[in-house]
Amino acid sequence: MILTNGLIKTYHLGDTVVTALKRIDLSVTRGEFVAIAGPSGSGKSTLLNLLGCVEPPTAGSLQIDNQEITSLSSNALADLRAERLGFVFQTFNLLSVMNVFENVEYPLQLRKIAKAERTRRTLAAIADVGLTSFIHHRPAQLSGGQRQRVAIARALVGSPALILADEPTANLDHATALGILNLLKDLHRKTQVTMLLTTHDPKIMQMADRIVEIMDGEIIKDSACM
Amino acid sequence: MYVKLALRNIFRNRSRSLITLLAIGSGAVALIMAGGFIEDTLTRAKEDYIHAFLGHVRVYPRGFLEEGLLHPFDHLIAQPEELIRELRHVPHVLYAAPRLSFAGLLSTGESTVSFFAEGIDPQVENAERSTAHLESGTYLQGKNDYQMLLGKGLAKAMGIRAGDAITVVTNTKRGAINAADMSVQGIFATSDKAYDDRTARLPLAIAQKLLRADDVQTIIVFLDETAHTAEVKSAMERLLRNKGYPYEVKAWYELEEADFVVKAMAFYQRIFFVLKMIIWAVVTLSITNTMNMSVLERIGEIGTLMALGTRRRGIATLFLLEGVFLGVLGGIFGGLAGCALAIIISRIGIPMPSPPGSTMVWIARIAVTPGALGAAFTMALATALIASVVPAHRASRLDIGDALRHNI
Repeated sequence: MILTNGLIKTYHLGDTVVTALKRIDLSVTRGEFVAIAGPSGSGKSTLLNLLGCVEPPTAGSLQIDNQEITSLSSNALADLRAERLGFVFQTFNLLSVMNVFENVEYPLQLRKIAKAERTRRTLAAIADVGLTSFIHHRPAQLSGGQRQRVAIARALVGSPALILADEPTANLDHATALGILNLLKDLHRKTQVTMLLTTHDPKIMQMADRIVEIMDGEIIKDSACM
Repeated sequence: MYVKLALRNIFRNRSRSLITLLAIGSGAVALIMAGGFIEDTLTRAKEDYIHAFLGHVRVYPRGFLEEGLLHPFDHLIAQPEELIRELRHVPHVLYAAPRLSFAGLLSTGESTVSFFAEGIDPQVENAERSTAHLESGTYLQGKNDYQMLLGKGLAKAMGIRAGDAITVVTNTKRGAINAADMSVQGIFATSDKAYDDRTARLPLAIAQKLLRADDVQTIIVFLDETAHTAEVKSAMERLLRNKGYPYEVKAWYELEEADFVVKAMAFYQRIFFVLKMIIWAVVTLSITNTMNMSVLERIGEIGTLMALGTRRRGIATLFLLEGVFLGVLGGIFGGLAGCALAIIISRIGIPMPSPPGSTMVWIARIAVTPGALGAAFTMALATALIASVVPAHRASRLDIGDALRHNI
């Protein structure tokens, strides 16, 4: 599913070159539920951005479903994100001018799926996260947990091969976070979608099939290798 | 999808959108007002010149325009009645009338001045009552009455009032001296002071008697609307060619006498063009700022849209559409406000001093034409679109990872 080889990411801060990721070699198979753990600034969000094709690596190779990603054009990467990836963000990142239905429907519109099919899949995804009675609500009218459920529905609606969740419970209280984690786990069980989550929350780590620990841009521990 | 998103985005920050709409609308109002004022002024000047002495179209014998100044009686239209009858049948022609001009001396007994006379057909031209503004007295009455209308400046220079007696002295067609005693029937004024300072009008039949001539120099044609001038000119040229008449047709703007008004129109239109460019630039700069603000405030959202799979071109389209919608709304708002303001100002009127070369004062209005409205709407749409190009490009070139970090 995912194969990285010597993945490096550096940033330029003025004259200083900061290396965020140092030669990451990682392999994730289809259907895995992987937690990428590490303290703040360890490089886990950068790794997720690279795996999600939102940032290009400085060096190294990244393959998704045996396709080399680093050589793809901007449009091809956009299409790949729309068709094969789903994102769940720490800050939910819903479009404030759209209601729940429209936010969830958006990825399907990008893929130019027919209206009837879009509606069916959107309603199903919203039902999966338990928000059917909120479809006309705007994000500002929802709680944090509800917003994250909408974001999860939006990530799942296109039946992606891979869902990338960047600290999905970091902005939620304990009870809500637990609800979101259970939802993610249930959906993973139901759909068998590959899930990669960044976290420093021990609860998420416990739920994951595999924990990849990162420190200073390097993988220091991978439970799959133990 | 982008249309719905763009429409909602322009209403999300209402105060900023309102400021943008005000900037666009104000530009549209300024264009309508300035354009309408200049349009009204130029139209009035043009129509005054046409109706005072140019006519819309004139028919001359070939060679008259080249040699008529030196040999005014070498190129004449003999028996013009049939030609006039045919010209009247051309669509859009209100009337066609013969004219015969000559130079001579005008004497009151105490003073004598040179002048320029125009022999007109009083029955035709007076019926229209549009060829000149009468300051005092009445229009010429009979075809064969020894009566004259004097230009305001000419009458003033000689100290003549309506009802006074006057003697006209001129050369006949063959060069002999001839004179006639006339009465001053009225004093007229046009928008051309130079014309009023030297011109008198008298019945064509009297002019022909003085000149011992049966012919005329030109047929002056007036139309229902000035806009039909070029069309009528072409129709008349076809008519003359088909009938084999040795005459040529000139539109009012091709006449030497129209030089001042044609150049003045070109001059003011150029000034208005520069003014338009300034308005375009001011509106574009003011809305570029708000469009840039819109991008800066939404960097995180742009990152999200791109992370979800929106192409860079889609992001640019979204911001360009927002510009288009702001332009359309600003254009409609500005157009309506401009029309309302123009109507109010036109009802009140703007008292204008007499322009250079004229003695007439007038009340200017704001002429709202479809062209002016179209120009204002085009400006609104184009400036909003132009102002959106750079922000749209900036938004579409954002680094997705950097943009997403703005959400945190």
